[in-house]
Amino acid sequence: MNEVGINRISRREFMKNGLVFAAGAAGLAAGYAAVPDVFARAVYSAKKDGVTNDKVLVMIQLAGGADGLQTVMPLQDSRLRAMRPRLSAAMDQALPLANTTLGINRNLRGVKGLYDQGKVAIVNGVGYPKPSLSHFDSIRVWETADPTRRQIDGWLGKTIAKNYDSQGHPLVGCACGTSEVPGALRDLEATLSVVNGENSFKFNGSDADRVMGAIYNGTPGIYGALFDQSVFTARDTVARLRTAHERYVPKAKYNDNPNLVYSSKNQLGAALQLAAELVISGVGAKILHITLGGWDTHDQQLNRHDQLMAYVDQAVTAFHDDIAAYGMADRVLVATWSEFGRRPQESASAGTDHGTASSMFIVGDGVKGGVYGEMPSTSGLDRDGNLKFTVDFRSVYQEILASHLLVDAREVLDQSFERVPFVKVA
Amino acid sequence: MGKNTPSAGPTRRTVLVTALAAAGGVAASRLLGLRDLGGHRVADALDVAVMDPMTDAMAPDDTVMDPSVMDPMTAMDMPEATPDVTGMPAPTAAPTRAPVALREPVTGVSVPDLATGIDWVSPLDKESAKVAHLLRRMTIALSAAELDRAMSEGYQKTVARLVDTPFVEPPVLPAAENATSQAAVKLGDLQTWWVDWMVKSPTPLAEALTLFWHGHFTSDYRKVGLGSPFIYWQNLTWRRMSLGKLNDMLYQVTIDPAMLRYLDLLTSTGKSPNENFARELLELFAMGAGSYTEDDVKAAAKALAGWRQPQTQAMVDARLAALAKQKKPLPSNPPKPDPVKTGVFDPARAFSGQLIFLGLANTFDARKLIDRALTSDAPATFITQKLLTYFATPVPSAPWVARLAASYRRSGYDTRALVREMLLSPEFTAPDTYRVLVKSPTEYMVSVAKALNSQTLTRTILANANGLGQTLFDPPSVGGWGDNAYWISSNTMLQRANFVSTALGQTRTLPAFAGAEAKFLDGVLGPRTATELANTKDERGRWYALLASPEFNLK
Repeated sequence: MNEVGINRISRREFMKNGLVFAAGAAGLAAGYAAVPDVFARAVYSAKKDGVTNDKVLVMIQLAGGADGLQTVMPLQDSRLRAMRPRLSAAMDQALPLANTTLGINRNLRGVKGLYDQGKVAIVNGVGYPKPSLSHFDSIRVWETADPTRRQIDGWLGKTIAKNYDSQGHPLVGCACGTSEVPGALRDLEATLSVVNGENSFKFNGSDADRVMGAIYNGTPGIYGALFDQSVFTARDTVARLRTAHERYVPKAKYNDNPNLVYSSKNQLGAALQLAAELVISGVGAKILHITLGGWDTHDQQLNRHDQLMAYVDQAVTAFHDDIAAYGMADRVLVATWSEFGRRPQESASAGTDHGTASSMFIVGDGVKGGVYGEMPSTSGLDRDGNLKFTVDFRSVYQEILASHLLVDAREVLDQSFERVPFVKVA
Repeated sequence: MGKNTPSAGPTRRTVLVTALAAAGGVAASRLLGLRDLGGHRVADALDVAVMDPMTDAMAPDDTVMDPSVMDPMTAMDMPEATPDVTGMPAPTAAPTRAPVALREPVTGVSVPDLATGIDWVSPLDKESAKVAHLLRRMTIALSAAELDRAMSEGYQKTVARLVDTPFVEPPVLPAAENATSQAAVKLGDLQTWWVDWMVKSPTPLAEALTLFWHGHFTSDYRKVGLGSPFIYWQNLTWRRMSLGKLNDMLYQVTIDPAMLRYLDLLTSTGKSPNENFARELLELFAMGAGSYTEDDVKAAAKALAGWRQPQTQAMVDARLAALAKQKKPLPSNPPKPDPVKTGVFDPARAFSGQLIFLGLANTFDARKLIDRALTSDAPATFITQKLLTYFATPVPSAPWVARLAASYRRSGYDTRALVREMLLSPEFTAPDTYRVLVKSPTEYMVSVAKALNSQTLTRTILANANGLGQTLFDPPSVGGWGDNAYWISSNTMLQRANFVSTALGQTRTLPAFAGAEAKFLDGVLGPRTATELANTKDERGRWYALLASPEFNLK
């Protein structure tokens, strides 16, 4: 349709890379070697000079407001113990981090192992000025990277729109394990995939794919373009997932023992396994988003939070092992986020109300492991009894964008923030 | 959440070439109601061969349409400065932003032409189309028989019948009524009970409103649990109160046993109040963010504390049986069933004393707190806006919201009067409301069942609900579900199409297709849908094309 130079070039590039891909697949079948991200490479070269790296970002949203103080605990804080007569039991069982006064949740054993190998950064006190205690409001702030609530586009969507040619490569940005586009990925100029489960992602009926392609074309109305784009993306993704599935050979250890690695009941695990497949098979995945809910622990928090921690630990560790086995762990960065932490003071129902600053985890072989950011003090709480943030969450975004994805962070965040230097700089 | 106006807003004005209808002959007549999105100006030229939409405008063998003539890309463009997303790079793209380039995708799936700026031509100047519009918006789904009846009554009478006929309740579900922790009701049974009733109810406005309130005053079965009748009662309560007075509704919401569990009011005491329900009452249920302070939340949490859950006879029996089984002595003061199906107030656990709420120092209980909230300007606007956004248009005009909100307040928050006034407003059937809402997954699937005249698709509907993104009694968050663009993604469009395949596969006797596009789509079809229908000879294929079409996904 449009004969612009840039297209012709990338089409040629793709064909050339296609040959490389075939060789890579043969290597994979032989049981070794990583498949090159050739589709993705075509994307980068097509879109923008300078952004031709093979880095991947996986953001995990802990939705509902995950309690930071039962995740990363200042073990010597007697005020916190006093404020949490029941919940402080978690402090007694925490896994201490060497050379710090902090301990992490007892169920984060796998993550602790990675931390001890220098592959995990923990950023404490992450928040923003004038924090909102509303789930929706605060989710929007984090999704749009804008505490003034003027932005509509999500920060990840914006990153995709400004840097990658997602139009012909729908898996560049993909929400795994959900049926909706998460706000962080929304941007009108970015094409995104949403894949709930790989097995259900195909058209039923012999002629259905063709009919849908025929009908969803030039659809009138305010949703017309969105409809057409979604159907196109679905059809394109079906084809790509077929490729991904053919190219992805899970490592023996979770095939042999799925309950220990990716439990079928663990939706985060299934979503992360899909993410691993998209990364390993080289279908052009760049920014992946996964949501795990259930963190709004107003009531009986102690066990609930610990169980969720175990979920996260199991899934993230398995993902890392999988990716590492393919020699890709230095390219893939996993980061957790939640709209807010929770109040230090426990409630009568042994839970906690909505809070503010919390800790983020960043995992990957490209991470310079350690503890970043000052743990907010429980002696200087704000008027709602909440922690005062010490690190602006956009500083973390800045580091992910500028140091890991190697894109212009200012273009996404509208201003520059101080680095939190948790990414190894080559 | 999810209130963003739809994507792909118009970036240039487009007038479609008018050869369409001519090329399509009878078959193409009226099908292309396309108008300029920018100014909502109807492109009259398209209505070349206007036909009565109720006659069969799509006789199968009439004409083969030439797709190249139908292609919207042959439209004459009147470009504006903004670059668009159709793949034509802007001549003066900013250096920091490379154009979003379309290319031949590597999978061989061809890229669609995006018809930015072209809209449907509204048929809402016709009584028949208005009536169909009303039923699509207000009854979840419509059958051919319901449409015929409403057509014969006309718009005004149908509104009166919908709003004034007492709602018929679904049949009692004993497994839910008698649920205990030993004998929990199955989620599937509860969902089947409701979806069956959406398909069969003689008063489907009740089901549309119950679904609306289920998303607004939401609760999920996960937290409420299925070992009590509470979540089932909530559905019945929401239906009964759905056209009530707002103050009464908010009170019933506050003391609803499922809600007491869902937002932790059960564990909130005057001494140690839990803010969860208080915050959501103000933010999500009654007023909207920004119309109160954090101190108001804290005061409300105190005022609303002190409720416990009721016990049914079955729950008491189950508890005594459990004690007996463990050979434990029965308590000297054995538990008694409560005569009410609401929370029970326990003054000993409540707060006593003065509070300042929304600037007024007083003693507050739940009723007084709600009454105080309703003296503010916020609630009438908040509820009116939500109702209009859900049932009428994603962007209701400010004067319309203001007018209806003022009446709502004047009427003492009479929701029946509000709904009636909405439906009788000229804005409700204005041309710019035509096909501006996307059917929710439940509406879409029940619409398919009713179009196919099938009462046996409930299991299929439930099996597909999660894939389409809406599981009844299991909203994604306390904010309920999003709307419109929220429902459209590559995953959900695929699942919607697959639902249609399955539903058709399970329907042995399909209704005759003749006239279906007139009945269910007002005879207003886009060019591609029209072409596909014209080129498809078998009935099943034509039903597939119609039910999976973008037209049918809209309401």
